[in-house]
Amino acid sequence: MTILEVNNLKKVYTTRFGGSHVQALSNVSFSVEQGEYVAIMGESGSGKTTLLNILASLDKPTSGEVLLKGERLSTIKEKEISAFRRENLGFVFQDFNLLDTFSLQDNIFLPLVLSGKSYEEMSRRLQPIARKLGIGDILAKYPYEVSGGQKQRCAVARALITSPQLILADEPTGSLDSQAAEGLLRLFKEINQDGQTLLMVTHSVKAASHAKRVLFIKDGEVFHQLYKAGMSDEAMYQKISDTLTTMATGGARHE
Amino acid sequence: MSRFFYAKLAATNLKKNAQTYLPYILTCIGTVMMYYIMVFLSKNEGLGNMAGGSDMQTILSLGSYVIAIFATIFLFYTHSFLIKRRKKEFGLFNILGMEKKHISKVLMFETLYVAVISLGAGLLGGILFSKLIFMVLLKILHFEVPLGFSVSGPALAAVPLLFTGIFLLTLLNTLRQIHLAKPVELLKGGQTGEKEPKTKWPLVMIGTLSLGGGYYISLTTQSPLAALAQFFIAVILVMVGTYCLFTAGSIAVLKLLRRNKGYYYQTRHFTAVAGMMYRMKQNAVGLANICIMATAVLVMVSTTVSLYIGMEDVLRTRYPQNIMITTPVPAHQSAEGLQTAVHEVLAQHRLEGKDMLDYRYAAFAGNQEGDTVITDESKMSNASSSVRQFYVIPLEDYNRLTNRTASLGDNEIMIYSSRNVYKEDTLTVLNRTFTVKERLDSFFENSLDRVLIMGNYYIVVKDIAVVKAMEKAQAEENGYDPSGYQYYLGFDLDANEADISAVYQDIRTAVGSDYPDSRIESPVAAKASFFAIYGGLFFLGIFLGALFIMATVLIIYYKQVSEGYDDKARFEIMQKVGMSREEVKDSIRSQVLTVFFLPLVTAGIHIAFAFPIITKLLAVLNLTNVGLFAWCTAGTILVFALFYAIVYRLTAKVYYRIVSWGTSA
Repeated sequence: MTILEVNNLKKVYTTRFGGSHVQALSNVSFSVEQGEYVAIMGESGSGKTTLLNILASLDKPTSGEVLLKGERLSTIKEKEISAFRRENLGFVFQDFNLLDTFSLQDNIFLPLVLSGKSYEEMSRRLQPIARKLGIGDILAKYPYEVSGGQKQRCAVARALITSPQLILADEPTGSLDSQAAEGLLRLFKEINQDGQTLLMVTHSVKAASHAKRVLFIKDGEVFHQLYKAGMSDEAMYQKISDTLTTMATGGARHE
Repeated sequence: MSRFFYAKLAATNLKKNAQTYLPYILTCIGTVMMYYIMVFLSKNEGLGNMAGGSDMQTILSLGSYVIAIFATIFLFYTHSFLIKRRKKEFGLFNILGMEKKHISKVLMFETLYVAVISLGAGLLGGILFSKLIFMVLLKILHFEVPLGFSVSGPALAAVPLLFTGIFLLTLLNTLRQIHLAKPVELLKGGQTGEKEPKTKWPLVMIGTLSLGGGYYISLTTQSPLAALAQFFIAVILVMVGTYCLFTAGSIAVLKLLRRNKGYYYQTRHFTAVAGMMYRMKQNAVGLANICIMATAVLVMVSTTVSLYIGMEDVLRTRYPQNIMITTPVPAHQSAEGLQTAVHEVLAQHRLEGKDMLDYRYAAFAGNQEGDTVITDESKMSNASSSVRQFYVIPLEDYNRLTNRTASLGDNEIMIYSSRNVYKEDTLTVLNRTFTVKERLDSFFENSLDRVLIMGNYYIVVKDIAVVKAMEKAQAEENGYDPSGYQYYLGFDLDANEADISAVYQDIRTAVGSDYPDSRIESPVAAKASFFAIYGGLFFLGIFLGALFIMATVLIIYYKQVSEGYDDKARFEIMQKVGMSREEVKDSIRSQVLTVFFLPLVTAGIHIAFAFPIITKLLAVLNLTNVGLFAWCTAGTILVFALFYAIVYRLTAKVYYRIVSWGTSA
């Protein structure tokens, strides 16, 4: 079943007084099936973040459409968009985006509290997730008291607790040391094996090599895509590197 | 070249930080102006030569000390806030290769600029405005406004001295901070103090107890005399209580709320409780400052305004009759000469005394202990709440003034009090024991007890002989020259102030020679000095009120700005996690509102509890019109709240601009 469908997405930024136009996305189309693990790669300025913001309904495309489980994001009313985002999407960010004013547990509860869930239900949902992520004994702590890896795992827990259709991850390993990054990627793989659909935007070849499919974006368009299929992480790593080299040296486009 | 470099860099820094430095410099200018004007007025010779002017200058110079102390604390406090915001900048300079001594040089230039601008503009403004303020003051005092314009030498000397000192102090403090810190710490300077606050139960206890104690004193103090001493204790207790409860109490309450899971994990309470905890930790002291300052402004302005408005009342309470003569009559003399003299003066002026009131009496103070009164002054305690004023009046005068035909035996008395109840059946005073024959529930109008501080007893005795005996016994006990008795004569006149004043002067000359110890009073004569004192207090109240409001405004502004920078990041995260823009805005607005109106509401509560004790203090100043005071207080609170709300709205704009900067709509 198709979870996410992106059709002919275009985004043009206009400066405040309409002086100059910058085309961030020119024509992006792809789709994500249920249970997939997709990585989107591209250089800085290739439009990755813009794409993610549009998928997250934080930003609106100039033209084109995004369908989540067949529903057009553009038809959702402004008032309902936050609730929609809360219920269908989970987010993992490069800089964790945990609030210092809350304990880790409360940070994880935040989306559920916003949806008006009871404390009992929230803690019932949290238990299995906390066990899986190995954060059970740090829940009472505050973000500034734990390491980056622990923070990111809590952010993953916050994304998972609403049982979203799709988890969007924006450079999730960007602020982590290699060991913590490795741990997080293993975690993503496990979550994905449990059936969770994941979409990750990244710079890191290493991170992308864990995904089942890698999309390459260049100059606001999908340039190429790779399927992992039966490949090992190492082979995938090599293949992604080759593709990036080709892209950087201006190779012709191929499927 | 290098000297110019630092000077230039300092100028650029100030320009770049205009958003925070401009209000600071404006406040410096304002404070310089106010201090100059206050010193100018308190040292102005013309003012000193006017009737009552010197009394008022004492009040004003007191005011100038208050401004000096306040300016030091306040400018120091705001400057440390500025530096806290800029630590990152210094850290960057440091890392880019500037040594600390170079940074210090830049800072010295910056301070120099601020000092020169503030002193220059402040003195100029002060000199220009001093004339205006001077005229306003004279208007308040009902004095003639003289022409001319003057610059005060003493003020020109005092102002630079004080403010150079203040600026040096702030500079030294900044340099100390820069020298102690490591570059990395400087870089992170803006972000320290994020840890969750701990609940400090001892502080909560101390705060609750001292606040309760302060309120208790205010509610239970009965005697105005005691109120005078206890007011300051109450003020200090309430201040301590406010600081403790704002810092520790707020955190404790929020933590209790958080422990209640059913309450805490609700959409509306969740972000509010956590957000408030963070805010209170950052702002508790600043908010307590605002609260105390607001309370001070409210008390000061409402009391001085009601004293000024109620001056006619006060004059009437203090001087119930237009002409009032009180004199001791020596044993060998009678009061007849005085009566004749007064009537002659009235006849000359073709006026008739209305409500003519005269009586003979003896007056003394003593400590009442049950049915015994201690009148020996060496054994008396003045502070005790058992101090009573006794007025002994002969039956003859009492019957005449009340149209009664009561009779009394040798050792019988009738007793009356306007403020307490005499419960005993006998009264032992000055080695005599009297039997209480009657407790009166009313007495003739008199002007004996005008100070309104202590408890009082009016005692009617058989005849003038008893009065004389008691006067003598009292004088001998305390080693005074005995006189026969005291005599009072008072009346109103149906005439304008000028005529009353003329009568007053003539009576003074006519009576003075025969009765050298006589005291002749008239509200008309006292008016000028009353205006000088109460008008001076009124002026000072408004002036200091304005200063405090200026300070409050600045603190609010800085709070908003710093909150804005802190909230910006949280605002973005919450949106990403699934709160809508409107929800986030609402949540932040309600928290900011709570934070800023908490001090105002607390100040209101303080005022409500302070009301009883302040009424008693005003009674000492002869203002007994509680209704007037209540209205003035309500009015002051209203005006202040309005002002506060306007300031809040204006600064909130700055706040939202910071918060929404860069968030794409």
